Amino acid sequence: MLKADLRIDGKSPTWRAYRQELYAFRDVAWMLIRRDLIVRFRQTYFGLAWLLFKPMTLMFAMMFAFGFLAGFDTTYSVPYPLVIFCGVIPWYFFSNALPDSMNSLVGHMHIIQKTYFPRAIIPLTVIVVDAFEFFFAWLLFIFGCLWFDYRPGWECLFFPLFCLQLFMLCTAIGLFLAIANLRFRDVGNLVPFLLTIGFFVTPVGYTLSRIPENWQFFYALNPLVGIIEGFRWSLLGGLNGFPLIPVMLSLFFTSTLGFIAMRHMIRVDPLVVDMA
Amino acid sequence: MSEVVIAIDGLGKRYRLLRRHRPDSLKTWLRALAWRAVPGQVEEARDEEFWALRDFSLQVRQGECVAVVGRNGSGKSTLLKILSRVIPPTTGWARVRGRVASLLEVGTGFHPELTGRENIFLNASMLGCPEQQIRGRFDSIVDFSGVERFLDTPVKHYSSGMYMRLAYAVAAHVDADILIIDEVLAVGDDEFRKKCLGHLTLSLSQGRSAIVVSHNLSVVRSLASHVAWLQDGRLFQFGSVDSEILHNYAA
Repeated sequence: MLKADLRIDGKSPTWRAYRQELYAFRDVAWMLIRRDLIVRFRQTYFGLAWLLFKPMTLMFAMMFAFGFLAGFDTTYSVPYPLVIFCGVIPWYFFSNALPDSMNSLVGHMHIIQKTYFPRAIIPLTVIVVDAFEFFFAWLLFIFGCLWFDYRPGWECLFFPLFCLQLFMLCTAIGLFLAIANLRFRDVGNLVPFLLTIGFFVTPVGYTLSRIPENWQFFYALNPLVGIIEGFRWSLLGGLNGFPLIPVMLSLFFTSTLGFIAMRHMIRVDPLVVDMA
Repeated sequence: MSEVVIAIDGLGKRYRLLRRHRPDSLKTWLRALAWRAVPGQVEEARDEEFWALRDFSLQVRQGECVAVVGRNGSGKSTLLKILSRVIPPTTGWARVRGRVASLLEVGTGFHPELTGRENIFLNASMLGCPEQQIRGRFDSIVDFSGVERFLDTPVKHYSSGMYMRLAYAVAAHVDADILIIDEVLAVGDDEFRKKCLGHLTLSLSQGRSAIVVSHNLSVVRSLASHVAWLQDGRLFQFGSVDSEILHNYAA
């Protein structure tokens, strides 16, 4: 069967055409994911254990800072390590996925300059690889539940939805950063710095309830607030009520930004090499 | 007459040689934005233009192999990059019918930490070859490359010759209707080069079409049916490989 003609005129593809091409090149995506997973753990002695070690250590550091020094842990009805895990694991993913996707297009320039596949595949696969680590890290939470003899309630059925929202947020910001980094390497300096600040204005080691009530709305403009508090609601049901406003704010931010990011990506797809 | 598989019309690629105001930082970009807001102040007017390829038109019919020749910087690689969709053309268009495999480089996507086996699949996927198809040709690829013993060794331990052989073996086994090839025949020792040439000639004889860039005129003579001579980004002469063009070019 003859495939339809391919017209090369430098125009950006339509949504539909782009979706078809993403599907047509799914093999490339799968191979890149496999490559990254293999390369990350080949020649490492501890292999997958690294994926647990890092968030675990972060959790202990936060127990020290917020629990021991600031004395937050006495006020929660749920074991404090579990409260922290719900923040640390999404944050850890976020703080890895952003720089990784930001550097993805620039880092794959040697491939991009030699062959064509939809450029969005590169930042997307990088995020998928980080998502593998993210899911793996929840083992820590499961161990924690066994250790403290804690059982999540029916709300845990909503866990996948918050994962989805987190991935969408990372993808949206990641696509923007990947494109911006092509021309302005400034973002390479900016992002790690913003992440350091972001850590303190995100409820990782503490909870939203620590924020004075009349400031909570502004605090929740940070789209991660709704997601992390959502995880806490879904896994630690007894801890707080459903954080409706933060989740809605985050959902609005995520979907708007996601839409714009994808449209921007499709628009600049043919220009990626020239922009660098 | 057989069907036209590649039609190129008025293809051009312009680059801007940015003299003073290279927008390589956020600061200059913001300033340029500010300038643009003021009517009549167009910063870009100071840029010098350079056409790497200009008004290039060509048709390739099924079974033909067009060799593109020309000096360095005459636009050969720009042409192949546009046809491979790596960079967009500034003007004109090209229409391609059938599956295209671009070999702008052998071993695109090879990763040093991956084994030969893993790299075969990675590289093949980037050349647009489905995994199933590569599975079917795997033995043939390994055989062609002659690196069977080292298949499960990371390619960072390969000698450069072995690396190139493996890379070319994958490229040679990609099934496509149209091949776009940039100087990739310059690999390996004489014997391997002959093997590659033989393989390419065979696949061309099976009705595939190709656009090949080469500086090696004997390769051009043995492969190509037509020659396109590029000069300063423009098509200078085009004709059958038997015509005077190659003779003039060599002179």
